[in-house]
Amino acid sequence: MTGHSIHLRLVLAASLVLAAFLGLGGLALDKAYRESGEAALRERLLGYVYALLAAAEEDGQGRLTLPVALPDPRFSNPDSGLYAEVGGADGRVVWRSPSLLGRTYGQRRQVAAGVRDYLRYEDSGGSFNVLNFGVVWEDRSGAGLAYTLSVSEDARPLEREIAAFRTSLLIWLGGASLLLLIAQGVVLRWGLRPLREVADDIQQVERGARDYLAGRYPRELSVLTRRINSLIHSARASRDRYRHSMDDLAHSLKTPLAVLRGAVERESGEALRGLIREQVPRMDDIVQYQLKRAAAAGVGALSGPVPVGAVVRRLCASLEKVYREKGVVCERAVDEGLLFQGDEGDLFELLGNLIDNAFKYGRSRVRIRAGALEGGIRITIEDDGPGIAPDERVAVLRRGVRFDQRTAGQGIGLSVADDIARLYQGRIAIGASDLGGVAVAVDLS
Amino acid sequence: MRLLVVEDEQILREQLLEQLRERGYSVDGAADGEEGRFMAEEYPYDLAIIDIGLPKMDGIALIRHLRAHGRLFPVLILTARGGWQEKVEGLEAGADDYLVKPFHPEELLARLNALLRRSAGLACPRVEIGPVCLDTATQAVSAHGQGVDLTAYEYKLLEYLMLNQGRVISKTELTEHIYDQDFDRDSNVLEVFVRRLRKKLDPSGQLQPIETLRGRGYRYNSGRAS
Repeated sequence: MTGHSIHLRLVLAASLVLAAFLGLGGLALDKAYRESGEAALRERLLGYVYALLAAAEEDGQGRLTLPVALPDPRFSNPDSGLYAEVGGADGRVVWRSPSLLGRTYGQRRQVAAGVRDYLRYEDSGGSFNVLNFGVVWEDRSGAGLAYTLSVSEDARPLEREIAAFRTSLLIWLGGASLLLLIAQGVVLRWGLRPLREVADDIQQVERGARDYLAGRYPRELSVLTRRINSLIHSARASRDRYRHSMDDLAHSLKTPLAVLRGAVERESGEALRGLIREQVPRMDDIVQYQLKRAAAAGVGALSGPVPVGAVVRRLCASLEKVYREKGVVCERAVDEGLLFQGDEGDLFELLGNLIDNAFKYGRSRVRIRAGALEGGIRITIEDDGPGIAPDERVAVLRRGVRFDQRTAGQGIGLSVADDIARLYQGRIAIGASDLGGVAVAVDLS
Repeated sequence: MRLLVVEDEQILREQLLEQLRERGYSVDGAADGEEGRFMAEEYPYDLAIIDIGLPKMDGIALIRHLRAHGRLFPVLILTARGGWQEKVEGLEAGADDYLVKPFHPEELLARLNALLRRSAGLACPRVEIGPVCLDTATQAVSAHGQGVDLTAYEYKLLEYLMLNQGRVISKTELTEHIYDQDFDRDSNVLEVFVRRLRKKLDPSGQLQPIETLRGRGYRYNSGRAS
């Protein structure tokens, strides 16, 4: 099952983030603009009231009256959008601005002195922003007369201004979003191009048009492509090894099978039994050896580092159990943290065969040492057994000798170990140990 | 000695049972891990041979289960692949030895013998108590240096008594360890075997190596024999 493409995921995610970001930004800007508009409006209304109060005069009895020439010419022009009315303590109209000519004014509310009452007023004449402001006016006798000054401004200009701001905000944000989306699409296409190239290259490898991924890939991908190449390499090596093992297996089983088939026709009784007894272990050796060779994983992309100490410890514990009666003392000196770059099963097989030989042929002592070597590791396994004569040391590894041509019954441990070591570009050297027996040194890269 | 063979390959299992019975062991067979577990929990075995690749419950899981439930008899594992990782896992799970298929019957018998001796705390295949000497490898018995001719059941009885010398062994325990599951048990037969054994080992009646403890069972006496 394939999931959504990375490109689609990134576009979707980035678009959602962009929409959320720009949407919230737009809302915040709109709110801030409206709030500052309203604050300015209040300031302005208060300014009109103060201007009217500054222009106010007193009549003969000391009562408040306003002159003909008003501080803002809009108070004097009918339908100018700016209106004012002054009411007395009893609610009666004391003064109306000339701009109110032919209009009724319902906006005024009586308020106590010093109180500022901002409100929004709507009637058939339109909608207005209103400030009712209470003052006390001292007359000639020194008595306080209460008045309410009401100033009212047409709300439409402010609303038009806000609407215009919104439109231009939308246009700019929309334009910016579109640009960002386009830029993002281009960046993603460019950024993801190496992935598409890798996919194309893999397809070519699958079709057989090329052997490995050979393009120049960015750093982030080169780890992946190197691993893929390594996997391709190990898959090919395994396939070749299986094929060779199968060929060898088929070829080397044919000889004992031919012997047995001939014997069934010609021999009988003890002679036949003797031949079967001789050929069956030989066939078993062939099968075991070829299976072990084919099963070795070799250096592959998936072989992790294996702690050598743990494998040696587990093998020794198991073999001490098996050879308990022999009372073999096993000394281990494996460097802390020593790692083998390869397959765990291969290391078990390699060391299992060698350590088993040491337990089998040693008299009472086995010594295993392992440490880092330049560019690899060296593991030495020694015993105090009879040892191997120098002129037999190469022959015992049976390198380059096909299995069916080897002497049966020699055991297959050493040559399996040698095959595995060579899979890892390593080598096995057989020498003499100061314990008295064999010293097998395995160098692995 | 009573053994359990857990092996799913029918032909191999039957060959094993036959070979082991010929060598005088009482043997039961199980065809899969579940059956093996049931039998190992149900009957007192002296040793089990367990194949690693079993259906229902694999050999390693079976051994772990048996060890976790206090079954401490020796276990020999059979492996077809013979990989070291598999052998190590089997031995770590609680097996005592391994054998890679195909194996020579004599090799199997030698390993069994060594494991049984080891579990009885003996260093060599010969058990010598006073003038009586029993060789678990060749199944030969001698008294005062003279070979004693025993039937298969007499040998089994004597081997079990001698490997558990000094310990009181009930008739039930003896029956369970020398007969396999399908045998018709009759404790009178056991008494007949004991009487015959006494006669063959100690015709003069001076040694009396097998002591009868009324209501409790038998004991092979090392003290009086030596």
